[in-house]
Amino acid sequence: MNPDPETVDPIITESDFQKFREFFYRKTGIQFDSSKRYFVDKRLVERIAATGTGSFRGYFMLLRFQVNGDELQALTNLMTVNETYFFREEYQFQCLVGSLLPEIVARKTDRRPIRIWVMPSSSGEEPYSIAIYLLERWVGIHHWDVEIIASDIDTRILAQARQGLYSQRSVQYLPPDYLKRYFKRRAEGYQISDDLRQSVEFTRVNLSERADTRNYRDFDVIFCRNLLIYFDDVSRKTATETFYDALLPGGFICLGHSESMSRSSSLYKVRKFTNAIVYQRPLETP
Amino acid sequence: MALIKTQPTPESVTEEVRRHPRDCAGLLAQLTDPDPTVRRWAARDLADCPDISPVLVERLHQEADVSVREVIVTTLTGLGDAAAVAGLVECLRSEDAALRNEAIEAMRQLPDAVAPIMRGLLADPDPDVRIFAVNILESFCYPEVEAWLIAVIDHDPHVNVCATAVDLLGEIGTLAARESLLRLKARFANEPYIRFAADLALERLCES
Repeated sequence: MNPDPETVDPIITESDFQKFREFFYRKTGIQFDSSKRYFVDKRLVERIAATGTGSFRGYFMLLRFQVNGDELQALTNLMTVNETYFFREEYQFQCLVGSLLPEIVARKTDRRPIRIWVMPSSSGEEPYSIAIYLLERWVGIHHWDVEIIASDIDTRILAQARQGLYSQRSVQYLPPDYLKRYFKRRAEGYQISDDLRQSVEFTRVNLSERADTRNYRDFDVIFCRNLLIYFDDVSRKTATETFYDALLPGGFICLGHSESMSRSSSLYKVRKFTNAIVYQRPLETP
Repeated sequence: MALIKTQPTPESVTEEVRRHPRDCAGLLAQLTDPDPTVRRWAARDLADCPDISPVLVERLHQEADVSVREVIVTTLTGLGDAAAVAGLVECLRSEDAALRNEAIEAMRQLPDAVAPIMRGLLADPDPDVRIFAVNILESFCYPEVEAWLIAVIDHDPHVNVCATAVDLLGEIGTLAARESLLRLKARFANEPYIRFAADLALERLCES
């Protein structure tokens, strides 16, 4: 007996995969090499089933020609990896409060707020970690206003970040008194306090879309950790140039521990601080 | 003083306020604006205007600000058309080392557009351009790279061009390069570096 066609997974051929990855790269700047084939296929099959399109071709047509782009967004949400936890790579937060912010405030000639941009926000652990770190470990918070904006391409993860609900695993590296001070125990885990949730503005941004990034300006510090590793060389270069315009002269950008700016751009100055290596937009144009 | 509170709205960031028109004519005018930020954004947005590569190439040679130049090169890389590639080739002849390096990096990203002109670059009368062409091949994802390098070490009269090519063959060469490497050693028998690099490449040749 032949299997019911409705219950059989659609086949994604090598040429389908090539076609899809070129399209997805053009739209998002995210590159999947052949080693990611299983990861991509699994998610495509999931969306083909969810949309009832029945085949790769039918689904690809929907993806390409849907006017409102909802399906592309749903697929992007599935394709982006969101794994993080509170105080991950804490040495950079130590560098923020111990070196970067003192240098920034010493240079400031006005009372405008210090602006920090976190991209990608993922489910919010990183921007909330920064907020907690500033409140707990930076004496300057009593003298300066700080604005934290966190962005992500994935709308589903942004909703999760705004909700601020976390598992035990996510909060395991937080000191117990911080957990007590900034979280409420819920049946599903730990929810970050309303006060902190209101202290981070979450926005949807596709770094490969000029229209999305154009208004992101005048930042003192950008955290962009473990995102550029998913980009190919051209998208990485475009992203680093976007960050250059988003930073104030003298502003800093913190990348993930395995990432470097040197192959993408010569515009940034490498700064070696006690706790971390950070990249800086020079005060004067090179 | 404290963390600034926001009203949680689905998508907030400020509405776009335009200081300059974003049509092609307006963007072209902004390409010479005194403010480098305006020039950078113009160079990015001009990517959407038709037949824009020659204009960007021309601007690339006049632009003094490195940050604007980087954006122009990135836009040209994204366009990747014949005029963009021709403009990048011209940058290889520039006296400005930074501009040359930017062009080399950009051309590495455009294997399909650069491959058809690679033989011409490797036969350029200027040995420096031939060296830069070999530099482009260093991370050029194209099946003919080894064949091009073999042709260089077989025929190029300039020792520095051959030295650059033999270094790269040491990384990517297969047994197909063996005879040519032996001939190269004989051709430059009085050049210790070529002998050293060719021996090293011969030791490292891959089976396939």
